[in-house]
Amino acid sequence: MSDSPVVRARNLGKTFGKGSDRVEALRGIDLDIESGEFVSLIGPSGCGKSTLLRLIGDLVPASSGELTVNGKSPQQARLDRDYGIVFQKATLLDWRTVTKNVELPLEIMDEEARSERAASMLDLVQLSDFAKHYPWQLSGGMQQRVAIARALAFEPSLLLMDEPFGALDEMTRELMQQEVLRLWQQTHTTVVFVTHSIPEAVFLSTRVIVMSARPGRITDRIETQLPYPRTVDTRESAAYYDKITEVRESLRRGDRQ
Amino acid sequence: MTDTKPAAREATRTSELRHRLRKHVPAAVLFVLGLVAWEGLIRAFDVESFVLPAPSEIGSRLVDQWSVIMSAAGNTMIEVIGGLTAGVVLGVTVALISVRWEAAREGILPFAIATNAMPIIALAPIANNMFPVTSPVSKMTVVAIVVFFPVMINTVRGLTEVGTGELELMRSFAATPRELFTKVRIPSALPYFFSALKVASTLSIIAAIVAEYFGGPQDVLGQYIIAKANLFVFPDAWAAILVASAIGIAFYGIILGAERLVMSWHVSLRATEAG
Repeated sequence: MSDSPVVRARNLGKTFGKGSDRVEALRGIDLDIESGEFVSLIGPSGCGKSTLLRLIGDLVPASSGELTVNGKSPQQARLDRDYGIVFQKATLLDWRTVTKNVELPLEIMDEEARSERAASMLDLVQLSDFAKHYPWQLSGGMQQRVAIARALAFEPSLLLMDEPFGALDEMTRELMQQEVLRLWQQTHTTVVFVTHSIPEAVFLSTRVIVMSARPGRITDRIETQLPYPRTVDTRESAAYYDKITEVRESLRRGDRQ
Repeated sequence: MTDTKPAAREATRTSELRHRLRKHVPAAVLFVLGLVAWEGLIRAFDVESFVLPAPSEIGSRLVDQWSVIMSAAGNTMIEVIGGLTAGVVLGVTVALISVRWEAAREGILPFAIATNAMPIIALAPIANNMFPVTSPVSKMTVVAIVVFFPVMINTVRGLTEVGTGELELMRSFAATPRELFTKVRIPSALPYFFSALKVASTLSIIAAIVAEYFGGPQDVLGQYIIAKANLFVFPDAWAAILVASAIGIAFYGIILGAERLVMSWHVSLRATEAG
């Protein structure tokens, strides 16, 4: 990895539609994400946090400003398979077993030793026993773990996660957060994580980017400064609560601006 | 969930079998009751056999005419299989091409849709003149045209109704259009294709028999039914109709079996609930 940031945005803007239907989703985004960081984007709905993630992933094009991923255009980064993505829905292919779902990107990328790679990924997300199962035979949390294994299977330098645990119940959610932190520390992947849950953002991230709506913009950047590994104890610590309060107040301030 | 013991597995299999048999009991009972009622009513009110023959009479005529009807059914089946195959191959091909290449879609689809407006009754006598009188190809043509549309339109629908999530996922992997097609679009289209095939298999038998009414070789079900009806031997005509229905059910069953084999992952065919 070079010293340049993994994600670098300067005065980045995105508008949807034309004329009277014109919606300014993002305005004047300046953001650097360094290698190895775990950055959460948080804000009310309509603040453009998902849009920003999708710009980084080249799923939608930017309207104005500059954006580079690993020093390249987002499109080049996508073509180079620089990032893996996890959506709120697991989007597993129903007709493929768990193993075959994890192998999907490897097939597309013509990688050798796919089954070994898939097996070790499933081992990593602790789903080896379910390798031959079909997605519908798994719970929501397990499906999402398969999606994460799939996104990490080709060892991308960047992991983009768009509200990945939004559809899970609270207990599964906390387990998954723990799991993602473990994977992050094992793989040294840079993570950009979109969420609307303040505790989730604080628990996971090295840095929380606070955003605000109409137009979507960054209003604050908060270093969480909680030591890793983060555990159940972290969730009960005073420092954790203080950070949650700090982010909450920052969100409220941003909303009033 | 994963380490079920053989004995337990055997037990679940037996209970599953019992469950499946029990599922068919109501239909079987209704079928027998229906036959008995039908027979009883015909006898009680002395209904003439040209109005509606009793099941026993149809049955005995079927036994009597077995070899003639079977020979006719064989020839009709050839038309059905030939036409169905041609129509399905054509429908799927047009669907694949028109979804894969947008320019082709704009060019082909209007004409493909227009075939649906074609009345097959009007087409049958013309098709009969297009090919030699004894050739089954004229009937196959009619069948193929009838089958083409539902197969084509359903396959197009299945190929195009892929979620944005799946599309974005494939985009994130920088998959080629071809990979998107083979790994996502075609498997997603399978359920649509099989429903179309079920409709098409029934339609193809109707189309073949209708086409036969307009002339051609005599040794086919359509001509047999017409000839017997003209002679007022309705129980024989009914026996042939019974055989035609049996063919339809058999086709349907084969397609159902193929569906189970090819897409056991699909919601409608899942054997057990999630554990």
